[in-house]
Amino acid sequence: MKRLLSVLLVCAMVLSMGLFSALAEEAPLVIDVYDAAANYNGTQSGWFAKVIKDRFNIELNIIAPQVVGNEVFATRAQSGNLGDLIVVDKKDMSDLLDAGLVRDISDKLPECENIMKFKVQIDAYNKGLTGEDGVYYGIPSEMTDTSPTSITDDVIYSSPMIRWDLYTEVGRPQLKNLDDLLDCLAAIHEIHPTNEDGDPAYPFTLWRDWDGNDNMIGIANVVQLTTWYGEKLKQSAILKPDNTFTTVYDRDAAYYKITKFLNKAYQMGIVDPESGEQPWDDVANKLSTGRADLMWYSWQTGFWNSVDRLNAGTGFIFIPVEDMNFYADADRYFGSDRMFGIGSQVEGEKYDRLMEFLDWYASPEGATFQHCGIEGLNYVVGDDGKFVPYKDNALMDNLPVPEEYGEGGYNDGNNQINQWIVSSLCVNDITGERFAQKYWQSYKDMTMTEMKKEWQETFDAEDSVDYMKKHNQLLASPSVDFTPRADDNDIAALRVDVNTQLCSYTWNLIFCETDEDFEAMWDEMIEQLNGFGYEQLYAYDCETYQPEVDAKIAVTAE
Amino acid sequence: MQIDPKKRRSYQEFLYILPFILLVAVFSYFPLYGWVYAFHDYQPPKPIGPETFVGLKWFQYIVSNPVRTADVLRVLRNTFAMSGISLLFSWFPMIFAVFLNEIKCRPYQKFVQTVTTLPNFISWVLVFSIAFNVFGSNGAVNSVLLDAGLIDKPISFLKSKEHLWFKMWLWLTWKNAGWAAIMYLAAITGIDEQMIEAARVDGATRMQIIRHIIIPSILPTYFVIVMLNIASFLNNGMEQYYVFQNDFNRKYIEVLDLYVYNYARSSIKNYPLSTAISMLKSIVSVALLAGSNTVSKLIRGEGFI
Repeated sequence: MKRLLSVLLVCAMVLSMGLFSALAEEAPLVIDVYDAAANYNGTQSGWFAKVIKDRFNIELNIIAPQVVGNEVFATRAQSGNLGDLIVVDKKDMSDLLDAGLVRDISDKLPECENIMKFKVQIDAYNKGLTGEDGVYYGIPSEMTDTSPTSITDDVIYSSPMIRWDLYTEVGRPQLKNLDDLLDCLAAIHEIHPTNEDGDPAYPFTLWRDWDGNDNMIGIANVVQLTTWYGEKLKQSAILKPDNTFTTVYDRDAAYYKITKFLNKAYQMGIVDPESGEQPWDDVANKLSTGRADLMWYSWQTGFWNSVDRLNAGTGFIFIPVEDMNFYADADRYFGSDRMFGIGSQVEGEKYDRLMEFLDWYASPEGATFQHCGIEGLNYVVGDDGKFVPYKDNALMDNLPVPEEYGEGGYNDGNNQINQWIVSSLCVNDITGERFAQKYWQSYKDMTMTEMKKEWQETFDAEDSVDYMKKHNQLLASPSVDFTPRADDNDIAALRVDVNTQLCSYTWNLIFCETDEDFEAMWDEMIEQLNGFGYEQLYAYDCETYQPEVDAKIAVTAE
Repeated sequence: MQIDPKKRRSYQEFLYILPFILLVAVFSYFPLYGWVYAFHDYQPPKPIGPETFVGLKWFQYIVSNPVRTADVLRVLRNTFAMSGISLLFSWFPMIFAVFLNEIKCRPYQKFVQTVTTLPNFISWVLVFSIAFNVFGSNGAVNSVLLDAGLIDKPISFLKSKEHLWFKMWLWLTWKNAGWAAIMYLAAITGIDEQMIEAARVDGATRMQIIRHIIIPSILPTYFVIVMLNIASFLNNGMEQYYVFQNDFNRKYIEVLDLYVYNYARSSIKNYPLSTAISMLKSIVSVALLAGSNTVSKLIRGEGFI
């Protein structure tokens, strides 16, 4: 009994010594990140947490309004402390400045070598914010090192993409306009009514939960396709290729054209009947199981185009339509719509360490972790020092990370800030190639498939952007430093009313049984929208976005 | 100094009810402070103050033009219609309970009761996912009908706005009827057996017993429940309508609570407007309460306030 007791006592002593030595280690500095981009709320965990803890002894506590609701903004703002690190929409920044929630970082920012590689963009943004030179409050996100007018992507954000094998099977018809596209898709539906498992497949499968997002009113599936005819929604106004605005219900504008196009598709029976009921998650599932025959976002191909399928020739690829004129944003030289800032209550050592962390976040090493992942998991380094893709399912299948990065799955431990200072288009100093995998020579060699060669022969072009340039079908909109003004309460109320009505009507229009119904409903919609104050909202939005248009015209003229 | 024992006792008794007064104050009266937002242009991070005060602007906004007023009236119509239908059919659980009670095979009776009570414990989100899988365009019903060759195109049950109010009542009843019947079953157990036996001796049929003894005996319970339903006439819940709403049926499914929620969720800047609309609800509720109180006074000779 005594022996047991002494053993226990010794154990207890050893344990408590262990505890003390752990306490003696410096406790990590907890940084509250108020992050409008995050889809995760709570403490960052997993491999990315380990990476920053090892380097800076910092822990990230992420506060995500997208997860916990916008109320968190109001309550935190009221308390005067939004967060230590702040990631918000640019348009909210001037309000934060007025309320004294962000601090002046003019003293430390010029010392941050990595961030200051983007001095031109940062100067432009802060000048626009305060009107003064050399005063810094915010750092724009996802800036590129190219130029405001270049288009680096080989595929633009939105264009019609069809499975190459199916397109070949229906005889690779030449498409002159949307009607030809519908006929082609109907023919595809004829030979491919189901996927391999026998579940029904449709050319169009639409979803409803993105409506009114991304500073554009109306239903997302229509709004995105208006760019096929060179038109771009700026909130409630349509910007036409000639740089003038028109209303969203203008029968000569693309919102009408695309709604009509989808209605025709419905009348032909090639729209998934679940469209309008299903959320995006269901559609994502359908895309990855081959139940959709048309894709229109460049990133959607990620749900289907694996290396195996590309080799087998069943991948989705751009199919040109002659009368289209694609609107495409040039590289976002001046960054995306969000920015990084530091909370006003951050002082002393915390401030120093936070800025040090932020500079690392923009460094080649930091950006490599964000855009390329982990060496030995997502990529390996070739003999020439360039990266070669390794397990490309690390994110999809949440593969366990290598031991030196702690434990857990790759996706679980991924960077939850979900916003970058350096765009993946930038050149990585470590390799001399761009961060994004699709620009690596090694990746290009891996994906140079028969399918792509056939496509190049058929359309006599390198890639889709090359094709569009050759056929004068590309309308590139240069990147400018512009932040729209924030809505006041009256405009916010108008906007929700108009958007709700427009979305409801558009969905019902797509599902109209006859053309007469369609036209009658369109007239009714115009009347309702105007009743809810559309004209006032339209005037406001035109006025808001005119400076951006002017700036773009100026850049193009240079 | 001498303290009057009577006074001391009344202080003591006041202390007994103090916790309840505090509870009511904190959870029922304090939230009313939130109403101030209806009188301001609230734009966080700026706090509300004298410079953001706008008076009745947001109330006027609701009636500022005929289209918008019509929209609010549409929502009120939906609310009244759907609450009205459930009020109209509020006898259903009672009749259900009566018939349930008539089942003589005990295990079968218990089985039916359990099966009908169970849906009450499922959340509306799950109810909708059942609805989506059964009645969706690619759901079970459509698959069966398509395979049998009865239709050549799926029927969009969930998108259709036909008989929507009645369908919503059916879902509600499917979910609640078994649960609501419990109260009546308890009331039926309380009926004096002797009355029923006496009637049976006098040669009353089963239907006659139900009509002349059971139903009259449980009517007081029924009236209490109806009264409670009237009190929550406008609070017909929004979860059900929230999960079933889509752009095709919104016109008929949006009830007041959902309308307020949709506004508030769209942007923090719409808090003032949604607060104003939700206050409208309180006004209508008070009016309804006063109305039913008057009716009660007329019928029973005494009000309940």
